Amino acid sequence: MLRDRLVEALGSDAVKTAPEDLAVYAFDAYTDGGLPSAVVLPSSTRDVSAIVKIARDCGEPIVARGAGTGLCGGAVPLAGGIVISFARMNRVLDLDERNRRARVQPGLINLALSREVANLGLFYAPDPSSQLISTIGGNIATNAGGPHCLSYGTTINHVLGLEIVDAAGDVFETSIDVAGYDLTAAFVGSEGTLGIVTSAWVRLMALPESVRVWVAAFDDIDSASEAVSAIIAAGILPTALEMMDVVITRAVEAAFHAGYPTDAAAVLLIENAGFDEDVEASESAIHTIAVAHGARSWRSARTKGERDALWAGRKSAAGATGRIAPNYYTQDVCVPRSRLPQALRAVGEAAHENGITVGNVFHAGDGNLHPLLMYDKRDRKQVAAVIETGNQILQCAIDLGGTISGEHGIGWEKRDAMTRVYSTADLAVMARVRDVFDPMRMLNPEKIFPAGARCPEVAPP
Amino acid sequence: MNAVQHRAVPENVQAVATLLASCDRAREKVQVAGGGTLSGMGYPPERLDVTLSTAALTGIVANERADLVVAAQAGTPIRDIANLLAVQSQFVPFDAPHAQYATLGGTLAAGWLGPRRHHYGRLRDYLIGSTIVLADGTVARAGGMVVKNVAGYDMSRLYVGSFGTLGVLVQANLKTTPRPPHARLFLAPLPEETRDRACAQLSALRVTPAAAFWVHGFNAIDGDDGDEGRILALLEGSDALLERATLELRSALGRAGVPETHVIDAGAHEGFERIVDAYVGCVGQRSVTYRLYPPPDAAFSCALRLHELVHRFALRRETIVDVMNGDVVLRVSDLDAHAFGTKIEAFDDALHAAEPGAQIVAGDHPSRPYLRVWGAPPPGIERMRELKVRFDPNRTLNPGCFIGGI
Ligand SMILES: Cc1cc2nc3c(=O)[nH]c(=O)nc-3n(C[C@H](O)[C@H](O)[C@H](O)COP(=O)(O)OP(=O)(O)OC[C@H]3O[C@@H](n4cnc5c(N)ncnc54)[C@H](O)[C@@H]3O)c2cc1C
Repeated sequence: MLRDRLVEALGSDAVKTAPEDLAVYAFDAYTDGGLPSAVVLPSSTRDVSAIVKIARDCGEPIVARGAGTGLCGGAVPLAGGIVISFARMNRVLDLDERNRRARVQPGLINLALSREVANLGLFYAPDPSSQLISTIGGNIATNAGGPHCLSYGTTINHVLGLEIVDAAGDVFETSIDVAGYDLTAAFVGSEGTLGIVTSAWVRLMALPESVRVWVAAFDDIDSASEAVSAIIAAGILPTALEMMDVVITRAVEAAFHAGYPTDAAAVLLIENAGFDEDVEASESAIHTIAVAHGARSWRSARTKGERDALWAGRKSAAGATGRIAPNYYTQDVCVPRSRLPQALRAVGEAAHENGITVGNVFHAGDGNLHPLLMYDKRDRKQVAAVIETGNQILQCAIDLGGTISGEHGIGWEKRDAMTRVYSTADLAVMARVRDVFDPMRMLNPEKIFPAGARCPEVAPP
Repeated sequence: MNAVQHRAVPENVQAVATLLASCDRAREKVQVAGGGTLSGMGYPPERLDVTLSTAALTGIVANERADLVVAAQAGTPIRDIANLLAVQSQFVPFDAPHAQYATLGGTLAAGWLGPRRHHYGRLRDYLIGSTIVLADGTVARAGGMVVKNVAGYDMSRLYVGSFGTLGVLVQANLKTTPRPPHARLFLAPLPEETRDRACAQLSALRVTPAAAFWVHGFNAIDGDDGDEGRILALLEGSDALLERATLELRSALGRAGVPETHVIDAGAHEGFERIVDAYVGCVGQRSVTYRLYPPPDAAFSCALRLHELVHRFALRRETIVDVMNGDVVLRVSDLDAHAFGTKIEAFDDALHAAEPGAQIVAGDHPSRPYLRVWGAPPPGIERMRELKVRFDPNRTLNPGCFIGGI
């Protein structure tokens, strides 16, 4: 019945119901959950609207899906239902060069947009490390960040307006340039629980005239993190300020030969982009602070090739850890930037206490930590130890005045932790927004909001 | 309106909550008042029992200098926050008119869009956390004190531009950014037949100005008009960058046939503030100021269409075009208050027929309640109404002040 109606509306080519096909959509980069009843691949907004209406008639929940790179179970169909994959809605619809903006479909790969506009001297600034595969729709739904968000801001700063299909299947548009409530702001970061993004106007930026990348090496993690806090405290906001510890640099070098020293306890990858004059001048200021905090070496990437290699290594770091352990879990917390040294010490202690190997690779300038906890998921004890370590890190971030997710989202993973940073009243106010757009809780149920009595069956991380 | 109106000046968050809860139960209508600097926006409330002033909710709550984060109570004047940050070589691009009176809460609630947003981003993008009191007295926090946070919906940004109709903002947490060390204001009167070329050059500059305007009229703004008005540009950055930008700007304007340029270094920011203040300045009770948001490449064609319309109604006009963002600010007035009154409603109709989105940002004229202050409701208006119902079911807060009767 469900299948028949979907096929009738979209054609059999766009509807998948065979178990082996469905299994591919049961997971994201965090976990796997229940099988969906169907997976549908729309080609247009009208298709999406039709799917939602059919789902509504059949009482099936809906989960929107980009590339499935999410790290909190956001795209996992925990309550079954229909998964809408945006793989076929992946085009640039309008390119307005003069006003520096583009209208794109949600399934467009993040990096594909920057590549498409590079010849115009433009780029799309939000750059999650997953940008080679993750989609702009998924980025919008999670308000994705990335290394360069330190100076350019996260996805929300780059979305000008959205086309949304709501829980009733109706289509409407939002724009940040009209009077009225900022619905765009409500939808960005709502993880598919308020509506489905079917296209977006995004802001493009001019490519900087000058880009410099430096690597500073430190003999201990403390000094590196203190250097980060000091750079920010001095009022210097480079374009990117990333940190990697030796566990990560060794894995990266073994896999890619990106150009990082492997004998330093931690390195900072620093980029400054902008006008020649300012970029030149910033080097000595940052260098001085790094040295004052014990940097034992400072290297400037001389060519674009060297820069690209360093960045490629950084953005592939998580994947490179496959050499250390078969599985890793990425924690994502954000703390005030002056608390970075304390936070990193706590990460080290928690990992040590639980006997877990940890690698740190993260957006240091924003105070956004990503400890990668290595383990083997076949070993129940290790799984338990990872969960405990992750939990301790989460609590430490809260205790330091931070938050439970800087950029990966709440999804299924952290829904119950919401009560640790928000009061019942705070959450009830968020629920008022949900009541407007999805009163029946048919859009990505079991996400963001803490679980009620029901607890879905899911595998541990 | 009621015969007896109260003015309440609660001194803390709890007092705001108690007051709102009791008004809400008694079905009394509450108007939220900040510094009154943007009182030219929005409709007057359809009924009013209590004016809730945030004047006693002032002060910095946290100044995390090393984190580039600051939190203040909603009634804190923008100028106080800006001064504090300046001492620390930090800033936030508030760009609020009359910053000594404008409050943090009012500037956010009005969704004020400053001319430097092209360069530094929108004020909303500096907002990392908030505390709000809903009509029923619920006190709710959102976000926090960290610069990246995706825990749940971004409620804080939703309150920006909500015009006090969802709740009363009582605290806002902002991230700050390093303050550019130098500023320079550039002035150039435009001789005949130079405006289009000069503005095209401005928007194509490699070193982009923090803000750039074409101005015609508005005596309160620095400089004198040439035959085709004048140009003002604010440059901000390091010394070296300003030197380069100045050369570039001079030669660009030279190519456009503009011979004469002036530079103001001491007092550049004050000059910039006079421009922002002019956005909401009135000519007695004889003016109304419209603001429109076309994309930058459509700004001049929009302004010229408006000029023709003004001409048809024999009104006086003054114009600011924000060259970087595309905003058009048009102040229409008449030397005679009576004549203005007879024309303005028909003009407002004609203007909105041509430009449905035009908003009113200033104007004391008695007929203002009958004008389309917010422009035509946007496509999402039905959802916006539903939001209002969820947040303030009894329509206690600023009833009727916002778009679409919200
Ligand atoms: C190696 C690696 C590195 C990463 N690095 C970063 C990083 O630097 N910064 C960062 O922020 N994240 C990072 N992530 C996390 C992840 O890539 C981001 O969350 C990304 O935005 C998800 O995009 P996606 O297309 O994969 O979305 P999915 O995982 O498919 O979905 C994510 C969420 O978005 C919803 N959604 C998807 N499309 C739509 C739509 N059209 N309408 C409504 N809702 C929708 C889904 O329902 C789900 O809740 C990384 C992940 C990996 C695996």
